[in-house]
Amino acid sequence: MWATNAKIVGIVLGTLALYTLIANKIPQVQSEVPQALTLGANVTPEQLVAAGEKVYTGIGGCTTCHGLGERAPNLLTDEKGQGTIGARCGKREPGKSCKQYLYESLDNPTAFVVSGYQPIMPVMTKQLSPEQVWSVIAFLQAQGGSVDVTADDIAKSKPAAGALTPGASPGSTGGAFAGGSTDPKVIIQAAGCLACHKLEGQGQVIAPDLTHVGSRRDAASIRKKVLDPASSITQGYEKLAGIMPKSFGTMMNASQLEALVEYLAAHK
Amino acid sequence: MTDHLLLVLQAAADTSRAYGEFPVIGARAFVWITAEVHLMFAAFVLGVPMFAVVTEAIGIFGHDERYDRLSKEFTRLLLVAYSATAIWGAMLVFGLSTLYPRFWAYLTTIFAPSMWVYAALFFVESFTLYLYYYGWDRWKKGRAKLGHWTLGILLNVWGTVVMFIANSWLTYMMSPPRDITPTTDPTTIKLWHAIANATWMPINVHRVIANVVFGGAIVGAYASYRFLAAKTDEERAHYDWMGYVGNFIAMSALIVLPFAGYWLGREIYQYDQSMGITMMGGFMSWLWVIQAFLIAVLFLTGNYYLWIGMGRIPGAERFQPYTKYLLIVLVLGAIVWGTPHTMIADSKELAAMGGSHHPFLGALGVMSAKNTAVNLMILTTFLSFLLYRRANVRPVVPWARGGTLIQAAMFAVAAGVVLFYGIRGYFVEAIVRIGFSVYQVLAVLACIAGVTVIDVLMARGAQSLGAIRWGKMPPRSQYALFILAVTFTWLMGLMGFARSGIRQYWHVWQVMQDTSQYAATPALGYASKMISLCVLIFLSLVAFVFWLGGLAEKSTFVATPERQGEPRHVGH
Repeated sequence: MWATNAKIVGIVLGTLALYTLIANKIPQVQSEVPQALTLGANVTPEQLVAAGEKVYTGIGGCTTCHGLGERAPNLLTDEKGQGTIGARCGKREPGKSCKQYLYESLDNPTAFVVSGYQPIMPVMTKQLSPEQVWSVIAFLQAQGGSVDVTADDIAKSKPAAGALTPGASPGSTGGAFAGGSTDPKVIIQAAGCLACHKLEGQGQVIAPDLTHVGSRRDAASIRKKVLDPASSITQGYEKLAGIMPKSFGTMMNASQLEALVEYLAAHK
Repeated sequence: MTDHLLLVLQAAADTSRAYGEFPVIGARAFVWITAEVHLMFAAFVLGVPMFAVVTEAIGIFGHDERYDRLSKEFTRLLLVAYSATAIWGAMLVFGLSTLYPRFWAYLTTIFAPSMWVYAALFFVESFTLYLYYYGWDRWKKGRAKLGHWTLGILLNVWGTVVMFIANSWLTYMMSPPRDITPTTDPTTIKLWHAIANATWMPINVHRVIANVVFGGAIVGAYASYRFLAAKTDEERAHYDWMGYVGNFIAMSALIVLPFAGYWLGREIYQYDQSMGITMMGGFMSWLWVIQAFLIAVLFLTGNYYLWIGMGRIPGAERFQPYTKYLLIVLVLGAIVWGTPHTMIADSKELAAMGGSHHPFLGALGVMSAKNTAVNLMILTTFLSFLLYRRANVRPVVPWARGGTLIQAAMFAVAAGVVLFYGIRGYFVEAIVRIGFSVYQVLAVLACIAGVTVIDVLMARGAQSLGAIRWGKMPPRSQYALFILAVTFTWLMGLMGFARSGIRQYWHVWQVMQDTSQYAATPALGYASKMISLCVLIFLSLVAFVFWLGGLAEKSTFVATPERQGEPRHVGH
């Protein structure tokens, strides 16, 4: 019986060892906690590219869509014979340099949507800090092109001192959203609403047109929708459920929220 | 991803003591081990009563005492297993309250009333178990026996409700209702609102089925150990039969499990697409390749056990030449299912592959190919079982030939539907392709149901080609049952890691951030070591429970007068 017991123990341990070995032989990917990125005035292109790769594969969440060949264009590999993103970014939009095009893609992703894809990309400048945004651009430029991002680009993109920066480090003091303004147009601009919605002839038509939103929703409904975008989905836009950020309620103060709600509700 | 500002604010406010530390292995490892081993024992004490109450019912209504004894033999093991479940559960609670005090306070603020109900029901469940076990011989006949069986049903009801309550806590962590934000005061959250979250019911259903699988696998391992240790042919025959029943239940429930998993996955995607993408296409994508490998092991080992078992069935030699073809289908299916598709790769790896997909394997890594492969594997396994079932019988009903042809046609149609939608999936959009998997699954389920009904009707009055020679199994068949039990347990640990890990650095998804030193979700290599350790602890303790069971009372196996003469185990 001891021999049988030994065989059983051997089989159990052998099976466990096999599974553990296989799991250790495959690529090891750890899900990191988002970290703040600090780049000095003397940052080199190499440092930017290295930092950008981390953002690209980490906090940026870029790989969840790019590189799958279905949801978004390939960036690191060839896209339909046009090469990698660094090689093609300068030829995408007439009159726009590679850097300008890439920044626009992150800041206003619906301004130019590559043919064959849906406009589902969120506004990354609302989610990443300027350091993170520009390091990603440098990383993308490095994919077949030359890097011309500098510390000046980062400095120019930074909001005024005291403003709350996306991707800021834990412990940062934060600041007033939209500079504390209660002007609804300033709030709409700061929140990037027009990246998806159309209002008074401006903006995109990815999400429902807000020009007559007051005739469809009362103030309470608009308030609820801003605070909890998933609470109701306009008919015909079910596929885009989950795209609208859930953070507006905490970004705006009460006065700003009410100003925005009142403004939109008046759009009958 | 959209709420980084919130976690920044939360982290900034997170200054008071939120975490404790556990010596040597760290807080996360301690909670991981206690939670996982507790869950394994919980699955054991929930799965085995399901097994026990069904076998007792077969004993009562089929007038076959073997099943009654089998049921009692397992209920005896539950007594010790309950204690182990409670001990590990207590360790988990102490771990959470001392190592993650802030998080634990948050959960208890919302769920306190359900925790009291949980404790009360565990109490009731334990006493129902005592009545069920100790009343076995007292309430043995007539109405009293039915009353006893009702206790077994109640035992399952209490256990299931207890599990549902615990599931609400962990699913709330995964999918808190969308109106709950980091600033929501937990005292204002309605209990039922938190319980009835998006993934609660899918997890409930998935775990009920998985517990049946797990219970069957552990029963199979127990029986195989007893088989190998058996001193007499009768005893060996009894445990061979028990191992077959355990494996049959495990494999039958396993066939249904992917459908419950599909529902859960869909709910996760609907709740939060980014969580779904993290799970299937993000840092966890390799996990599914490992899962595919494990399930391939399960299918191959389960089929191997059946094929060896045909050696003890007179008449099975007719079908044995076909097993090599079944093996080819299973191996090809496993290869396709294990083909990676969407994975995080760095620029060098992408360059080495020549694109986001490997040039040769990219086409096989998509869901169209994988769904086709797994459905064909399920059909093949069902065919294996059908051949096993019909091995020693020759149907005598006049429509037997026509019935067999209809069965064959059902297999052909099901396989055709699976292949048709698998191939067509390459030419349509993703949203359409996802819907195709439903047709594939329905075709397979319809085939299984239709073929089974015909087979049962065709077996009426069938001519026997000889009784199954229970006990005439080579030892390697029993080791296969051990591999199945270890693999099922490891798979449970792996999927637990997947379910918990997709929250990443959140205790409660996008509501309460994990700001401890263990906030990063580890890679699969580390997770696999933890899983193996948990499985080893669990199996060692289960072996101890089995040993205690044998120490307290000898096996309930008694060689009946009928079985001492001619083998009685004719049917399945």
